[in-house]
Amino acid sequence: MRSTFMGLETSKRGLFTQQSALYTTGHNVANANTEGYSRQRVNMSPTLGYPGSGLNAPMTAGFIGTGVKADSVQRIRDEFIDRQYRQETNKLGYWESKASAITQMEDIMSEPSEYGLDEAFRMFWSALQDVSTNPEDTAARKAAVQRAIHLADSFNYIDTQLKQIQGNLGNEIKVSVEQINSILEQIADLNKEIQAVEPNGYVPNDLYDQRDLLVDQLSEYLPVSIERVPSGGNASKVAEGSYKITLNTNLKDMSGKPLEIVLVDGRNYATIQALDTEGKKVDGDEDNDASNPSLAYFPFDKLVINKIDGGTQEIKQEEFQEFKGKLLSLIDSYGYSTDGTNQSIKGYYPEMLQNLDKLASAFVQAFNEVHEEGYTLGNSSAPSKNGIKFFDDTGLTAGTIKVWDEIIADPNLLAASSVQGEEGNGNWARILANLQSMPIVDGGTVTGTSVTLPDSLGLDGATFQSFYQGLISQLGVDGQKANLLKTNTETIRLTVENNRASMSSVSLDEEMTDMIRFQQAYNANARMITVIDETLDKIINGMGRVGL
Amino acid sequence: MRVTQSMLSNNMLRNLSNSYAKIGKYQEQIFTGRKFTRPSEDPVATVKGMSYRTDLNKAEQFTRNLQTVNTWLDTTDDALDQVGNALQRVKELIVQAANDTNTPDDRQKIQEEINQIKKHLRDLANTKVSDKYIFSGTNTFTPVFDSSGLTNVNENSVSIEVFDGITLNVNIAGKTLFGDIDTFMNDFSNTLLDPNSSGEDISKKLGDLDNHISAVLAARADVGARQNRVELMTNRLSSHEINITKHLSENEDVDYAEAITKMITSESIHQAALSVGAKIIQQTLVDFIR
Repeated sequence: MRSTFMGLETSKRGLFTQQSALYTTGHNVANANTEGYSRQRVNMSPTLGYPGSGLNAPMTAGFIGTGVKADSVQRIRDEFIDRQYRQETNKLGYWESKASAITQMEDIMSEPSEYGLDEAFRMFWSALQDVSTNPEDTAARKAAVQRAIHLADSFNYIDTQLKQIQGNLGNEIKVSVEQINSILEQIADLNKEIQAVEPNGYVPNDLYDQRDLLVDQLSEYLPVSIERVPSGGNASKVAEGSYKITLNTNLKDMSGKPLEIVLVDGRNYATIQALDTEGKKVDGDEDNDASNPSLAYFPFDKLVINKIDGGTQEIKQEEFQEFKGKLLSLIDSYGYSTDGTNQSIKGYYPEMLQNLDKLASAFVQAFNEVHEEGYTLGNSSAPSKNGIKFFDDTGLTAGTIKVWDEIIADPNLLAASSVQGEEGNGNWARILANLQSMPIVDGGTVTGTSVTLPDSLGLDGATFQSFYQGLISQLGVDGQKANLLKTNTETIRLTVENNRASMSSVSLDEEMTDMIRFQQAYNANARMITVIDETLDKIINGMGRVGL
Repeated sequence: MRVTQSMLSNNMLRNLSNSYAKIGKYQEQIFTGRKFTRPSEDPVATVKGMSYRTDLNKAEQFTRNLQTVNTWLDTTDDALDQVGNALQRVKELIVQAANDTNTPDDRQKIQEEINQIKKHLRDLANTKVSDKYIFSGTNTFTPVFDSSGLTNVNENSVSIEVFDGITLNVNIAGKTLFGDIDTFMNDFSNTLLDPNSSGEDISKKLGDLDNHISAVLAARADVGARQNRVELMTNRLSSHEINITKHLSENEDVDYAEAITKMITSESIHQAALSVGAKIIQQTLVDFIR
């Protein structure tokens, strides 16, 4: 038997459902500009028809529908686009950070210009030529010594500035690690809340949105993979479950499959630390003072993950996946050790500093070697002699190169002459000047003399200037490549972001149209109730009143 | 594809920002006058620019060196010219003295002038330019003649580099040249004072004097030849310098007409983007639904 008030119930269900849809539309409109928000839709489905099958089922003409219900409120989000977005963010994180580090290095080296190291070399050469044309002239000698001091100062300055930026990069590593740990903790908290809600059959869309935003931020730093773990209980079909986040590396486990390194699993999270070769956290706050070794620079050694189930996992630089993630980029620029000691350090900044040290050391050694064979300017109290060094031979790095104090005090000690006691002889100053454009071969002879260069200078036949030009050209090529790749990944990410926005962001026009739709449906349902009310009124107040 | 307001506004912002960046880049090119300011913008041109600058610096330095060379050669030539004049006077005096009709008094007058010329020649041998004795070889602090006579200066060449690997000798060694002349003058002076010497003895000196004059002329010719070479080098250097400056400029400097045109184009594109953007962003259905 069908019920008297069935129509009312049907329309009442319609009213509630349309009302829910209207509220959801209002929620979408309110969040139209929220970052990371995905639009939500009410999934409506009809309720079971009447009658159900059974022994006492009445025979009616057919199933009569009983109304509508709101199954779930679901957010419109494409998991695949999210994955693409995170991959591109990851790559962009690497190249953006690399491009920035290289740009800062270019700013310091400042070539081509009138201020860089190349210009200092040129001015020193010119000054030595002036001495060779006027070897007796004290003013020319003083000028040459001043230019040499400027050259040494240029080396020192570049070294100091590069080390300062390197320290900044170390600091950025520290901040990034803190940030990553904070994000992991927040994701775990959200997982916990979601796990509490889902078994009740609810779908916490806004929590999902927050969680996805955090995972996007995490992807900038590290390459991660997401796995959805169902919450069990009475979870809805569209519930997304908790996230299990694993770090992607090149490590393999015993059976040759990629090693699973879990960062977040449900409400549990791991913490990470970036340690240097001394076992302390990398933080770049070192003062690179060579006289105080305890404050010197130490390269990155390994990333230590304090796992969820206890124990640690160590990851070295070569075990990271290449070119992925801002953290790896910072480590590559800051410098890392390939064997756990301080002897073999690689990385963009350490390698440039090492090359500058090599240049300074070769220059000091070669120059001193040649200078010692030349003769100084004698006078009545001090005769002309050879065997004098020009640069201080304890300063063999870019940070310590320095003109010998005695030369600064007495410019007559600049050995300009090739023969003892000949004050008008400027030939040796000329040889010294032309050292800059002479190919430097270990143990080779200096052109025009019988002086042999020291061994193990390491320039392999390049001249000092061409070696430095090689460094600059490598810097330029690397910078160009980083900028190109940054622009490329930025463009791709933009496209993916547009796709994501197309799928998930709120369109006010669409919401307005839907609003009208739901409002009209609500009106129609309300009208239906009025109609049924009138029919019921007819039955109750109009039937069986014959004769009244 | 579904397009939403946030997509439109984000895209517009991004494109405007790109447009600003382009305008900024052209502005920077115009302000600095250079096509690129960092190695990563053009690595090859950067390294070429560095080596052009080195070449230019060298050319400028060698031009400076050539000025020093010119000073040496001009002063040397001038001094030798004076020496030649002095020796001509001596020749006249020899001819005058080779006459047996001269009295000892006449001879003494001639001898006094010879002495003065000898001192003059010694002064010429000690010519200085910027505090350097130019005839003293590389012992430029020591004069050729000091108060006790000929000193022990050497006869080594002073060489100055005027181009990559090319050096020029800029001095004339004066010790032998002036030493011999001085010896001759002493000799002649003594002969004049010797009452036993005849006019014929004196006229034999003419031959020696001619040898000395030839030596001086030979030295002058040498200096003259070097001066010609210096002029050729100077011309070569200045055209070399012009070439390098041209290459350096082609490598790095911006073509102003092109840069200004591009900047104006990008400015007008930017304005168009702004006005179009303003129209797109305004209206949604909200404005039209009652």
